[in-house]
Amino acid sequence: MRPDSVWSTHILPSDVDSNAGWTAVATWRWVANDDNCGICRMPFDGCCPDCKLPGDDCPLVWGQCSHCFHIHCIVKWLNSQQVHQPCPMCRQEWKFKE
Amino acid sequence: MSLKPRRVDFESVWERLLETIKGVITCGQVARSTWNDRFSDVYKLCTALPEPLGDRLYLETKAFLELHVKSTHFKIMENEQDLLAAYHRHWEEYCRGAGYLNQLYGYLNTTFIKKLKFTDADLNYGGFAVEMTDHMLEIGELALDIWRKHMIEPLRHNLMTLLLHEIAGDRTGQSVNQAVVHGVINSLVDVENYKKKMAMQLYEEMFETPFLKETGDFYRSEASRLKSDCTCSEYMEKVIQRLDMENLRSCKFLHPSSYDKVMQECQQRMVADHLQFLHGECHEMVQQEKRKDLTHMYQLLKPIQGGLGVLIQDIEEHIKHTGLEAVRSLKTDSVPANFVESVLEVHSHFSDLIQKVFGNDQQFVGALDKACAAVINYKLNPKLPCKSPELLAKYCDILLKKSSKGISESEMDDRLTRCITVFKYLDDKDIFQRFYSRMLAKRLIYAQSASMDAEEAMINRLKQACGYEFTNKLHRMFTDMSVSNDHNTSFQNYLQSKRVDLGITFSILVLQAGAWPIGGTTVPSFSLPQELEHTVRTFDGFYGDKFSGRKLTWMHSFCYGELKFNHLKKPYFVTMSSYHMAILLAFNQSEILTVQDMVTATGMPEKELVKQVQALSETKIIMPEEGEVTPDTKVSLNMSYSNKRTKFKISVAMPTRDTPQEVESTHAAVDEDRKMFLQAAIVRIMKARKVLKHNLLIQEVITQSMSRFHPSVSMIKKCIETLIDKQYLERTANSPDEYSYIA
Repeated sequence: MRPDSVWSTHILPSDVDSNAGWTAVATWRWVANDDNCGICRMPFDGCCPDCKLPGDDCPLVWGQCSHCFHIHCIVKWLNSQQVHQPCPMCRQEWKFKE
Repeated sequence: MSLKPRRVDFESVWERLLETIKGVITCGQVARSTWNDRFSDVYKLCTALPEPLGDRLYLETKAFLELHVKSTHFKIMENEQDLLAAYHRHWEEYCRGAGYLNQLYGYLNTTFIKKLKFTDADLNYGGFAVEMTDHMLEIGELALDIWRKHMIEPLRHNLMTLLLHEIAGDRTGQSVNQAVVHGVINSLVDVENYKKKMAMQLYEEMFETPFLKETGDFYRSEASRLKSDCTCSEYMEKVIQRLDMENLRSCKFLHPSSYDKVMQECQQRMVADHLQFLHGECHEMVQQEKRKDLTHMYQLLKPIQGGLGVLIQDIEEHIKHTGLEAVRSLKTDSVPANFVESVLEVHSHFSDLIQKVFGNDQQFVGALDKACAAVINYKLNPKLPCKSPELLAKYCDILLKKSSKGISESEMDDRLTRCITVFKYLDDKDIFQRFYSRMLAKRLIYAQSASMDAEEAMINRLKQACGYEFTNKLHRMFTDMSVSNDHNTSFQNYLQSKRVDLGITFSILVLQAGAWPIGGTTVPSFSLPQELEHTVRTFDGFYGDKFSGRKLTWMHSFCYGELKFNHLKKPYFVTMSSYHMAILLAFNQSEILTVQDMVTATGMPEKELVKQVQALSETKIIMPEEGEVTPDTKVSLNMSYSNKRTKFKISVAMPTRDTPQEVESTHAAVDEDRKMFLQAAIVRIMKARKVLKHNLLIQEVITQSMSRFHPSVSMIKKCIETLIDKQYLERTANSPDEYSYIA
């Protein structure tokens, strides 16, 4: 390799051209400790039975006990409990994880 | 005068009355005072003591009227030269007179005769045969009845012959006294008009039936005469003329109830009897699209029961033939634009024809639809799936992509709207959707859309045609684009607040895995060039902080970047895929690299790398050694590369066109989707019905999936098998072709 190379291919520094540089494409999906929602038994990649589309419209939530459900499913569950509001999986009191 | 009933001498009163009646019935002069006196005379007779004389009055009046009509009949018969006119004159007079007489006998009618009359209820529900002749009639009715018995009956034959003769004369163009003929014919109706039942009987029996027969005979011979010395198109023209004239004639002479019957008779004789002859000509007229003849043909055949069938079928065949001709003449892998445009041309040509010639008759519109569907879903090769959904999607892609051709926005809009016309005929709408979403994904990722408004408008059109379910993924893709914009802005803010410099301009699209048709293809392993690694890590961290429980997968095959070449005489800005970037960036280490070096640097499998190197070497930016590329092949950077443009794109590896593999995987994915759709449909149906016969189940499944695609029965059967295996269904014990749902 020549010590001071007269050429170099390099990516444009961001202050020269704001148009392009690098356009990346990434997809996202949920990472949960289970494949299916423990309440509706539907896959987390899908949506709860009341929704049409998975993803942003039917998000997942985690409790402090680290269990995870469709938000619609767990809210429905919590509303149906009169005295305590336990996690349906471990019966600890349900608290949304921050 | 007093209304009190008293003794009356019938003879003297009747004598007075008779004088007046004579005047009334001939419509002579009757003074008002005399009229009033006679009116009370009737009253007196009806209320006379010791017993009412109404009966006697009725009989005397009847006897008088009979006498009067008989003598009138005699007078008319004397007038042999112009019997019809004489009859007409006397009838007019008598008819009016009878009306006045009825008023004069008002009291008798209302008190004396009403009692004896049958009520409507008796007539309708009585259940016993009502003898109309035996009971008493109101005086006006009595007068008409007498006229019928003593005038019309004896003249019956004479009148009929004369009337038919007159009308036949009118047909051959002789002048006819319209008022007289019309008056005489209508007298047959009026004379029985008071009857509650079968009021038209006399008219129908005495005149209408023989008239229709005569009309039929006339037009039968007329039709065979015309047919022998005219061509079909002349024949039709003449027949239409005849029908119009006959219709006019009906209005001139006949009672309205006969209009339709006459028309029917004429159509029967001139059209229906010659249906075979006309149908025989249809084929050629349709072939040559003789609009005028077809208009006539339609006009003639329309009222005939089952007359249009042949014509409709001919039209359908013709459209199908023309359409297939147009489609077949395109080469197998023809330009999608040609396909769509030639189909549309055929469609608009024939919908114009159907509108102008057949007045948009539903049956013909149906034939057009059937023919177009057959053309559009025609398979060049019966073993392969139909190409049309793919071609249509490609055509939309071409329209929606940025291009140098520069069609105006309104024209683009127009063409896209017409695409929907073709789309509606597609059997395999789901295949179209697959292709469309693939191409849309590419347009969005590579920012190739000509206009976002047009994209959105198109999706809305599809939604209108096929429903929300069909387009929800497409909508989702749109939302992801705007969500990604937000991500980019907040990421930039994040970088500023953390004072991080990535060293490159970076933007990202974060897409939801399920909605985009890009996840399925297997991604070759790939390690990012150092220059980008930092960026990826930073963004991963940013995203992880912002959304918990989400995992990002970087789709390297869709990423692209711009490199600046500093090694050449002038700097070049080149857009390329991430793979190419990684390969070229490796040359920062050395001007000459072996393939093995590059494998190490990029982490790509050798096979994939070789493909990319070959693609790059085609652009002459790098030059591999002669011969087959092996791990030891040396690749050097072309230091004397030049290009007219300083900004360009290496697009070879950027899959802007669908490769055959992609097409195949699209079809495979569609098949998979269809199976899921069918299984879902079967479960839905069975859940509702619990138990269902095999054929009925198949039928319902087909109806449910019609709007998306046309499923094959064998596929449905397979799905049923699968569901039985999965224990959603079972065969019932008592019948082999029945299923029941397992809850």
